[in-house]
Amino acid sequence: MTDDASAPGEPAEQVFFADPALDRAFGVVMALATELQVLRDRVAALERQLERAGQLDRQALDAEPSAEELAQSKQDREAFVRHLMSPLLGRQASRGGAS
Amino acid sequence: MNPLAQASAAPAHGMADAAPDRAFAAAQAFLVSAKSFWTTEMFPALRGEYENARDPLATATPESVAATLADSTLYRYFAWAERHLQKMKYSGRYGLVAWQGAHRQSLEATLTAPVALDASLDLPRYYVSVDIHQHPGGVWRDTLAGFVYERGARSTTPLAAGRHADLHQRFAALVADTLEARSVLDLGCGFGKSTRPFCTVFPQARIEGIDLAAPCLKLAARMSADAGLGNARFRQADAARTACRPGEFDLVTSTMLLHELPPPAIRQVLEESARVLAPGGWMFHLDFLPAVQPRGDAFARFIHYGHARRNNEPFMQPLAQLDLPAQLRALGFEQIEVLPFAEADGVLAPDYPHWRFPWTVIRARKAVPSDERATP
Repeated sequence: MTDDASAPGEPAEQVFFADPALDRAFGVVMALATELQVLRDRVAALERQLERAGQLDRQALDAEPSAEELAQSKQDREAFVRHLMSPLLGRQASRGGAS
Repeated sequence: MNPLAQASAAPAHGMADAAPDRAFAAAQAFLVSAKSFWTTEMFPALRGEYENARDPLATATPESVAATLADSTLYRYFAWAERHLQKMKYSGRYGLVAWQGAHRQSLEATLTAPVALDASLDLPRYYVSVDIHQHPGGVWRDTLAGFVYERGARSTTPLAAGRHADLHQRFAALVADTLEARSVLDLGCGFGKSTRPFCTVFPQARIEGIDLAAPCLKLAARMSADAGLGNARFRQADAARTACRPGEFDLVTSTMLLHELPPPAIRQVLEESARVLAPGGWMFHLDFLPAVQPRGDAFARFIHYGHARRNNEPFMQPLAQLDLPAQLRALGFEQIEVLPFAEADGVLAPDYPHWRFPWTVIRARKAVPSDERATP
């Protein structure tokens, strides 16, 4: 199983899905997942260092956010969701591109 | 010193060519966890899907399993994950090659233990034409290839990540149940992981490890010296043409070598093993044969052949289809046994649910000519 879209001289990656686009898209997903775990690991290491230095209140960090805190983060959260999900609407962001 | 100041003095991550050690370790641990999920969740689910979909009245073959799973979405993700988790282990930003490369100077500086290299050795075409295990450049091209292979081998069996050496110790112990070796030749010894347990179980023996890969041999010599094992030496040679004297050894071993060889080379290695063994000497190979396993059915063979393709191991399937006992008999071996090997407790149970390599011991004894047999 090969994907003949690779450049000359470069071996084509094996293809497992009916549409090779899915093979490649899932590669992006796994790369992002790896990056996410690297980030989670780093945040946890930062928290441990801060806690050892007496500069982090873990109980406060882990507590459910107050209504005030949730309200403060609402704008950022909704902007993130809009950014994440607006491609699902299938709309052009500029005029004139043939669809 | 304020720990925060210390932390801020560290190089900014994400900007350099290579990831910091913590990020590398976190990414590799993530891949091992993903492979464990593949091993313990995806594999049993796939077997269940196959068992439900198969025709119970038809004789199953690897080809019929492939047909049954042709439209299985789970099989596609299973296969994709096997291929790409391995690829990510070696390649890319958090891959072994980039990380070891970032430590190149300090790693190379440790390779000072003596090793007998052969600059004129002609590496076989089958060996240099495929990057086995998806290891870019293979286990032989780069001076750091031994380090990359060593680190990679720690997570070859994800359920035993970090203690993969167990199976080598189990193999050496099994061999020691059969004979007390005085001279051992370990074929395709790599970075010496297979050789070192024999140094321990046969402390009085003269032990020689040979391999084609100079970078692996250099690391083998270093790790053997680090472990204080004075009875091993390492030499660059082809297992098919060892340059050893006839009858020089009373034990010849290999671990995960045969499946890397095309059938004609396997035959040469077996012939060469017979040549260098003393009459009555033993040959033990640890390799992969799905058909002899308790769960060695058509599904297991289909999975194994697929693993071979996805892991860049073109000769794994041909080995599994060879009649090794017939070859060994033709070469004058006796007491030939081909037995499943338990790399961990419980794995040979008929209902063991998780993916595993089909570990197998192939053992045979070089016949003693009748005029040399001791009279009772």
